[in-house]
Amino acid sequence: MLLPLLLAIEFGESDADLVRRLQRRDPRAMAELYDRYGRLVYALILRVVRDGGIAEDLVQETFLRVWNRVQGFDAERGGLGPWLLAVARNRAIDYLRSAAGRMRNAVELPETEHPALFTDMEKELLNSDRVRRVRAALEKLSKNHRAVIELAYFEGLSQAEMAEKMGEPLGTVKTWVRTALKSLRDELGTAVTA
Amino acid sequence: MNCDELRDDYGLYALGIADDPELSEIRAHLQRACPACVPGVRSARELIALMGAAAPAVEPPARLRKRVLASVGGRTASRWNWSPVWAAVAAGALIAAVVFNIRAQRASTELARTGAVLRQLEVDSVSQVRELARLNEAFAILNQPNVKQVVFGGGAPQPPRGRVFLDPQRGVLLVASNLPPAPSGKIYEMWVIPKGGKPVPAGLFQSAADGTAVHVVPGPVDVAGTAAVAVTVEVVAGAQVPNLPPVFAAAL
Repeated sequence: MLLPLLLAIEFGESDADLVRRLQRRDPRAMAELYDRYGRLVYALILRVVRDGGIAEDLVQETFLRVWNRVQGFDAERGGLGPWLLAVARNRAIDYLRSAAGRMRNAVELPETEHPALFTDMEKELLNSDRVRRVRAALEKLSKNHRAVIELAYFEGLSQAEMAEKMGEPLGTVKTWVRTALKSLRDELGTAVTA
Repeated sequence: MNCDELRDDYGLYALGIADDPELSEIRAHLQRACPACVPGVRSARELIALMGAAAPAVEPPARLRKRVLASVGGRTASRWNWSPVWAAVAAGALIAAVVFNIRAQRASTELARTGAVLRQLEVDSVSQVRELARLNEAFAILNQPNVKQVVFGGGAPQPPRGRVFLDPQRGVLLVASNLPPAPSGKIYEMWVIPKGGKPVPAGLFQSAADGTAVHVVPGPVDVAGTAAVAVTVEVVAGAQVPNLPPVFAAAL
């Protein structure tokens, strides 16, 4: 009788099963969620805020937010890892904006983390091969193109804020962002078709 | 705008940096489940997710796992969780005692032991429900679009640090770290300090062994009329007037 239970605990389960357990408010499912995604979430938040103590606070906030909102997540069709990373990025950027006295981004950030936005994503999207390819593609970008992507992604700057920070015309920055995203799409080919 | 014209903006939208008119156009296309824009934006979101996963790998401190799990009422000792096993063993022992009428002394011992386990599980369950209710209150505050957020303790070398969130309807939420548990016989008390007024008691709390604390005071609060939120150490019964100096204060 115990064998299936023990095997499930020891050998893990699919993201869909994990989401269903989170939706049943099983605190043990949170342990599994953390073991699966805690490193990715911490690494991303630390890259944004560059302070270990603050990163720990925000990781805790990220997992609590997911725990609180998981009822709205589609267990069968949802991409759990991408959703967690979106929530983590938003928490970190929200912190940066707040600490810097910048306006809280009231529209765009919530629009990027609603659970329903992560349906029908590729299963196993965040596998190590794809992540390596993205890193390589980012490194191949020109200096300015990589800079705008990093300012947008890791610092949450709008295109106008990037233009001001870089001392470049807004039109130039917009062109760089579009070109950089296109280069990434082309470099990644069929792995990601954005 | 048609879908071809919007194609290059899917990535900007997924990054959260699209500007009008493209932003409004993409929203409108998504709103009507546009067969070209929905998968296009989804693929862009996949690319953005991969960028997040491509951040330089860093191992989080071991205490962080414990902290995350403790915050949802979970057990934290290891990946192997024995509580389901204990529950099954306890149930099995009870059935065996009743059905097979094992020697009275042994059955009595088993029942006492399993009863204790079941009572502990019940206590755990009640405390988890309480913790969840508290967290729901906390998130009710966090989720408000107009919540006022104040960071405290940021630049100092070793003080408590964290954030205070104030929402006019939902109340005040304090999230702190580097806050060692108050000494024996003492407790932390939070104070909401009105502009030009005396501090108003805002509940007692204790921090966890790892120095983290989450304290919620549900209910309306006059955010515009609040000058600061502070925390002092008081006797366990709490106080009506704060001891000075405060452990920390967050000025609005």
